[in-house]
Amino acid sequence: MDVPLISNQDIYMNIALIKEYHEDMPRRQAQRLAVEYLERVDLGHIAYKRNPALNPEERFCGMLLRAAMVKDAMILIDQPFKIIPHLKDIRFITTALKKIDDLYLSCHIYDYKWMEEKYGEL
Amino acid sequence: MMSFWENLGRRVIQMITAFADTIIFAGKVFIRIFRRKTYSSAMREVLLNQIYFTSVQILPVFLMVSIIFGSLLIGIVFQLLKEFGLTGFFGHVLMGLIVTELSPLLTVLLITLRSAAAINTEMAVMKVNREIKTLEMFRIDVIDYLLVPRVINGIISIVLLSSLCSIVLLVSGALFSWLIFGMSIDVYTNILLNATNFSDILIALFKCAIYGFFITLIPIRFGLRASQELTSIPIVVSQGMVNVFAAILIIEVLSLLTKLL
Repeated sequence: MDVPLISNQDIYMNIALIKEYHEDMPRRQAQRLAVEYLERVDLGHIAYKRNPALNPEERFCGMLLRAAMVKDAMILIDQPFKIIPHLKDIRFITTALKKIDDLYLSCHIYDYKWMEEKYGEL
Repeated sequence: MMSFWENLGRRVIQMITAFADTIIFAGKVFIRIFRRKTYSSAMREVLLNQIYFTSVQILPVFLMVSIIFGSLLIGIVFQLLKEFGLTGFFGHVLMGLIVTELSPLLTVLLITLRSAAAINTEMAVMKVNREIKTLEMFRIDVIDYLLVPRVINGIISIVLLSSLCSIVLLVSGALFSWLIFGMSIDVYTNILLNATNFSDILIALFKCAIYGFFITLIPIRFGLRASQELTSIPIVVSQGMVNVFAAILIIEVLSLLTKLL
């Protein structure tokens, strides 16, 4: 299911929103945390950009981090190659997931059988 | 002939239902304003941003319009009072008409044109882009996060900006009373204080709060009625704005009735 980033907020605000709303985390603390997580996936430079200004990889990472902000997060990625169409294999996604593996409990990727070869040994 | 009455009846029922829905929805939002849980860190951030967009960003334009429009109006009214020999009513006209009636109306019209239209479009775009659905999927209450801060902002902004507009009008009143009647500032202040009716000011402030509540609530409500199609945005925005202007008229009439009773 499509869960777009909120377009009238910067990416760091999209990510911080979950902590601010559900845990009542102070704004500065939540936003600092969001920028820190973006830097972890080497995307600190997109913190102050908005959704339309992002490329598919950056957008995917923004959505991934936002999903990981939920307490005891269980991430579900539906057809990742539909989100980032030009990816040749799953490595970009697994690398991003590895970098933030302490932020979520489990991650499930769903895709069609005919996309199997893009996943390699995963 | 029958179809005419049927159509008329259907329209009236639709109008009454829509009005009742709006009042019920307003009640729901009003209750949330007083709930402690509503004020999360995220909501407070939205509230601050909204106050900045509505009350602070508009200040230069608002002050300019208040000064130009207010001075023009006061100049004309004072000149007419002098011509018709109604100088005795000067204080009552200034306080009763210009400060408590025209100042809230001018403020609400400006804020409606600028912010209510923006809020209506923003909500409609969020609905079309499925961003509202996204918030719901993250268990973020749309009323708490999107609606309440905008409505509170509406109330605060209209009350404050209307007060500011009144101050601008009173200052230009002082200038024009000196130019037209040759009145000193002491005499001007004295006349104003004698003409001031505390209950009128309270009614004016209460009316501003009601204005603020509805000119933000109605655009949000209509914005959220957008479908998943882009073409629904102009439709809900125009419907929302028409309804906001209808609400302004209704509130104005009700406040006049309150004064008469």
